[in-house]
Amino acid sequence: MTPTRPAFLDGLIASLPIILGYFPIAFSFGVAATRAGFSEIDAFSLSLVIYAGASQFLALALLSSGAPVLVAAFTLIAMNLRHVLYGPALMREAGSEAGRRQAWAWAWGLTDEVFGQALGSLARGQRFSEPYMFGLGLGAYASWVSGTVVGAYAGGGALVGWPAVNAGLGFMLPALFLALLLSILSRPQLPVIGVAGLVTVVGTLALNATSGILLGMLAGALTGLVRR
Amino acid sequence: MNWELLTVVALAGAANWVFRALPILARADRMAVGGWLGRFLSSTGPAAIATLFVASILPALSPDLARLAPALIGTVAVLATWVACRSVVLATIAGAIAHGLTVWLVG
Repeated sequence: MTPTRPAFLDGLIASLPIILGYFPIAFSFGVAATRAGFSEIDAFSLSLVIYAGASQFLALALLSSGAPVLVAAFTLIAMNLRHVLYGPALMREAGSEAGRRQAWAWAWGLTDEVFGQALGSLARGQRFSEPYMFGLGLGAYASWVSGTVVGAYAGGGALVGWPAVNAGLGFMLPALFLALLLSILSRPQLPVIGVAGLVTVVGTLALNATSGILLGMLAGALTGLVRR
Repeated sequence: MNWELLTVVALAGAANWVFRALPILARADRMAVGGWLGRFLSSTGPAAIATLFVASILPALSPDLARLAPALIGTVAVLATWVACRSVVLATIAGAIAHGLTVWLVG
């Protein structure tokens, strides 16, 4: 009988590229937070409680520029509206028998990258399980929070002498998204992917990056309605 | 931590939990079986991943060769490793290494 790895460990292993991608970005966030005048505890709290990269950077900009509290909060909330679609999309691929009793806890970790990796794993034959989702989410979350703390305490000079390492780590997330895209690529999804990519470019150039992402995602998903 | 930061952190964090967990707990996907919402949700994953890739690579697409070359070579490394190994982890790491090495070579 072949021994099988616990699903939690499988999830933790699958989170490896996310761990490597998150750490330098979280590190940069920690540095940026302390440079903007926030304490190490503030930076840690932002990563622990908000846990959404782009909106955390935006929070620094809004709060340090003196934006009203409610305006800042609702701007951050609007930025993460896309996450509403991730859970249902994942559970649909996981199948009707998929467990969700502990979703109140593991779904907290359903970031862009964790969602993409979970969906890619299902496409590659991984069976959905809640321990797998805990492993996948915990690796990413721990990397994000620890990267923030290290960045906040280390300050900005840590990677200055290593620009190639810094650049390579910075490319980890685009590389991960491309690899995930390849892992779920199928002929019926090509129009969805093409439209999503095109609208993202147009939306980003015409409006801003946040609008580009939201419009690209919606346009791609709507394209799925017209295909047979 | 001042009250302004505390308020923003609490509101944004609560909203993130609601966005991520509530649709699963409310079984939004089961309401969608077979209908238009089902097709919409099936396309959401590929659309989201394509969008995030494009959004993350877009800032590197510039006429400046020192910025463009690492992104192009990193992308080619991801594609080549995926074709050779069919592994997301290896393809991601190969892309990052190729990108970092190109930055080091280009200066």
